[in-house]
Amino acid sequence: MGSTGILVALIGVTIVLTAVLLVRPAITAGTTGKILAFVALCVLPALCIEAGMSTHMQRSEQTQFCVSCHSMTTHGQSLYVDDPTYLAAQHFQNHRVSPDMACYACHTDYTIYGPFKDKLQGVKRIYIQYLSTPPATIHISGGYSNLQCLHCHAGARNFEENPVHHPMMDSLTSNQVSCISSGCHDTVHNASEVGQLKMWRPGQ
Amino acid sequence: MKFGELGIQTFIRIASVLIILGAAVELVSLRWVHPLAFVLFAFVAVSLIGLGILIYLVSLVLAASPAAANLGQDTWAQQ
Repeated sequence: MGSTGILVALIGVTIVLTAVLLVRPAITAGTTGKILAFVALCVLPALCIEAGMSTHMQRSEQTQFCVSCHSMTTHGQSLYVDDPTYLAAQHFQNHRVSPDMACYACHTDYTIYGPFKDKLQGVKRIYIQYLSTPPATIHISGGYSNLQCLHCHAGARNFEENPVHHPMMDSLTSNQVSCISSGCHDTVHNASEVGQLKMWRPGQ
Repeated sequence: MKFGELGIQTFIRIASVLIILGAAVELVSLRWVHPLAFVLFAFVAVSLIGLGILIYLVSLVLAASPAAANLGQDTWAQQ
């Protein structure tokens, strides 16, 4: 039984015990009933919230979760472009990031409150998707920070000894020169083009 | 039956309904991998369950408060 199975069982037990109290609230007059009420109406529901939040936070890091949004469909397809110059596709197809968490690995803010800020941004995007008008081209608010690239690449020998990277290391770490918009690695998703490109099919 | 006890039982019933509804919404949200499932959980399920817990805790405070018990008895007497 996985963690989701345990959570479902926990929710089931909570519903059953709470239903007993709903039908027969008079049992809370006794000591056993009071303990049952405390467990069913306070301890178990609090555990359901905590475990549910943890499960949903983990799920929201999955590639499947991100590309399930209509606006992200072409971004998801861009991961399968059969062209090594496409940065996102190259990272995804060669497992430079975990394929199950490809979006999260490159787009999360690697700070202490990074995952929380990501979720707030996500909620804002859901608002735009369903209650406003999504823009034709999706831009990351505040731009793409080099720190997200350097989280993995900093310290890597083939990155730091690269004759192009080496002289501009300070500019890269201070975000003065962008990795993806300075003419070096500027083909990232190019989501509007994926319809015309050859796609990689895993296993073929 | 004292009014205070009846009131606490009503609180427990309301808390139970809210928690059952919240738990049911959480179950639905777990069957669905989609951003709206996260919203459903975070805004609907957590609010219902949280409110249920809060109402139960308020019922405990009211049960322990002599003033609340007196208020309950007064209201009972008026009825």
